[in-house]
Amino acid sequence: MSTDPHRPHRDSPSSEGYTSVDEDWTQLRTLLLSPEQTQLDELRDRLDNRAVQPRDISRVLPEAFAVRGERDPQLSTVLTPYVENGFVTTIRKSPRAIVDAIAPIMGPAIRQAIARALQGMTQSFNHSLDESLSVRGLRWRLEAWRTGRPFAEVVLLHTLRYRVEQVFLIHRETGLLLHHVAAEGAVVQDQQVLSGMLTAIQSYVRDSFGASPDQTLDHFRVGEWTVWIEQGSHAYLAGVVRGTPPETLREDFQAALDDIHAQQPDALTHFDGDAAPFKTTQICLENCLHAHYEAPPRPSALKLWILGGVMILLLSWWGVMAYQTHARWSNLLVELGTEPGMVVTVAKSTLTGYHLEGLRDPLAKDPSAMVVEAGLEPSSIKAVWSPYYSLDPQLVETRAHSMLHAPTTVKLSVEGDTLVATGSASIEWARETKRLATLVPGISLYRDEGLVTTSIPDLLERVNRTVVRFRSGLSIVEPSERATLGAVSIALGELDQAASQSGQRVRLEVLGSTDNTGPVTRNIQLSKERAHAVLVALGGEQLGEATTVITGLGQSIVQLGSTGEARDRRIVTLRATLTVANQGNEAVGP
Amino acid sequence: MMQKKVCMLGGFAVGKTSLVRRFVSNVFSDHYHTTIGVTVEKKSVTVDDRDVMLVLWDLYGEDEFQRVRDSYLRGSSGYILVMDGTRRATLDTALALQQTALRTVGAVPFISIINKADVRSEWEIDERAIEQLRERGWTVLFGSAKHGQGVEELFVTLATQIVHAAPIPRDCL
Repeated sequence: MSTDPHRPHRDSPSSEGYTSVDEDWTQLRTLLLSPEQTQLDELRDRLDNRAVQPRDISRVLPEAFAVRGERDPQLSTVLTPYVENGFVTTIRKSPRAIVDAIAPIMGPAIRQAIARALQGMTQSFNHSLDESLSVRGLRWRLEAWRTGRPFAEVVLLHTLRYRVEQVFLIHRETGLLLHHVAAEGAVVQDQQVLSGMLTAIQSYVRDSFGASPDQTLDHFRVGEWTVWIEQGSHAYLAGVVRGTPPETLREDFQAALDDIHAQQPDALTHFDGDAAPFKTTQICLENCLHAHYEAPPRPSALKLWILGGVMILLLSWWGVMAYQTHARWSNLLVELGTEPGMVVTVAKSTLTGYHLEGLRDPLAKDPSAMVVEAGLEPSSIKAVWSPYYSLDPQLVETRAHSMLHAPTTVKLSVEGDTLVATGSASIEWARETKRLATLVPGISLYRDEGLVTTSIPDLLERVNRTVVRFRSGLSIVEPSERATLGAVSIALGELDQAASQSGQRVRLEVLGSTDNTGPVTRNIQLSKERAHAVLVALGGEQLGEATTVITGLGQSIVQLGSTGEARDRRIVTLRATLTVANQGNEAVGP
Repeated sequence: MMQKKVCMLGGFAVGKTSLVRRFVSNVFSDHYHTTIGVTVEKKSVTVDDRDVMLVLWDLYGEDEFQRVRDSYLRGSSGYILVMDGTRRATLDTALALQQTALRTVGAVPFISIINKADVRSEWEIDERAIEQLRERGWTVLFGSAKHGQGVEELFVTLATQIVHAAPIPRDCL
């Protein structure tokens, strides 16, 4: 035992009046009862300070929560506002932590919901698209227009085999709705009221037929809707199906119901009207929203090939035709460009065909004929031609022939701006042409030094002195006589043109005769045949428009030389006279 | 939202449907009354700042020709007994129906209402009878479906009792 120098001595009274004996006893008691004294002090403190200590509560808090939570829901009711407030505060303070915590749950759920929505939308779109262009689709479009319903709904009605439009999860005893899902576009009535009525109907049917509680209403049908009911121990599932569902769908309903009973046993057993816990059945119920559409008839591969082949053939034919038409058009433009008297100023293709504009000499070739020759449809080309005089030598020559009425015995040619006349013509024509030639567009000078001129009397005399001899009894023109007739024919042509320029016409008589051998009737016939043969040798009807040909009837006694030798009487003679045009009167005699 | 099934019980033509019509807008036709004996309606009320949806099963009035089906009562969280003040017999019917309900759903909250308070002078149900009902522990309200008197109070009071009710063993009453 150590000695405390500050403690008062045991034999001397202390300043407080304690004796040393008392101190010793106190010291001894402290030594002996120190642990117990400490415990007593603690107990005294706890008795004096009855306030609950956090440390004490912390020891029993978890057990206390568990015990009270099992007894009644009061603990949850009390804690709910604090938990909610704490949750809200946490979200505001650190939203990232909440996001990280629920992302693994929400991600798949959101993806599934989006996929389901897209799948439904795509399916509906595909159906509408598939049917929009077909004959059947047109018929349905007409029906939609007639009934005033949307086209998509009409397509749905015709192609739908079945679709689960609504699924109700209903508490069996109370008839209260636990959860409800509906397909997009389904008409949804008041779910809670409908749940009650569904339950009432089941009870009514069961009571009406005296069925036992385990005998339930499985399904009923209203119009195009069927309501399928699957019973569970605490809840039943009612599916509203449009169309005719397969029996396998009932298995899906039952599987979903079993899953819900397995996932929510407590919530179903102790259901007190709070349907909040059953929100988790959303996915399970949505999996029951099946839909099956009639597959559109797929065209066979052969049909596709045939259709494709026809399309290719049509395209090829169209391509060839387009190429050919374009080639013909190009050729036509080339032809028009090289054709004298034509100048193309505008050439373009339009939606309905082609368009042409240009200048055209009246003597130039007909453009419509050129279009036909090019192989194009005249109606496909719209052409606008403005008239003009071309200086092309060929057209100038044609124009000179046309304006100057050149006889066929005259040849006109253009050399630069000079018109050159050659051949033979009447003096009158040569005189008139010299006066008019320079008035022809494109002609500045006129030359006719190569032109031989003859007068009408000379020509008449050359014709009228013609005598064609025949062998006895024959009406065939001898070869020796044909040269004579050739010269007469030319003279007749010149005479014809000269007469027409002077407003007159040529009247030609062909007189045949015979000798006096043989019967008279035969000789008359023979004289006609000889006159006709000469006429044919002269060119007959081709002698000229202004020439009137008359086959004379001659007898030997009236013919030239009838008093001479017999050979001089087997002849044909010509007698040309001039008459005023449109009159048969003789104007000039031989 | 909390849902509660509530049945409307009473004799024939006591005004059950009229009371419900005062409280909700109907969805289904009254025709169901005479076909399957019930029409279901719903109405939300607020109790202690919580919304409670009352799913009202309006049962066909019991008379000598048709009895209330027990199966319709099952699962009810409460019920309303409706009497016609001008017909004494409807009180007896209400007493019988209460016994039926007690047997079927147990001692759940219920409220009785004597309808046609607007013609009180014609009542056959006197004060003595009403007092006897209250001595039985019944909550007796007076109402008029015609004027809407007491209708809102009827449903809100029952909803409050249902929400606050603790499970009571059936054999206590």
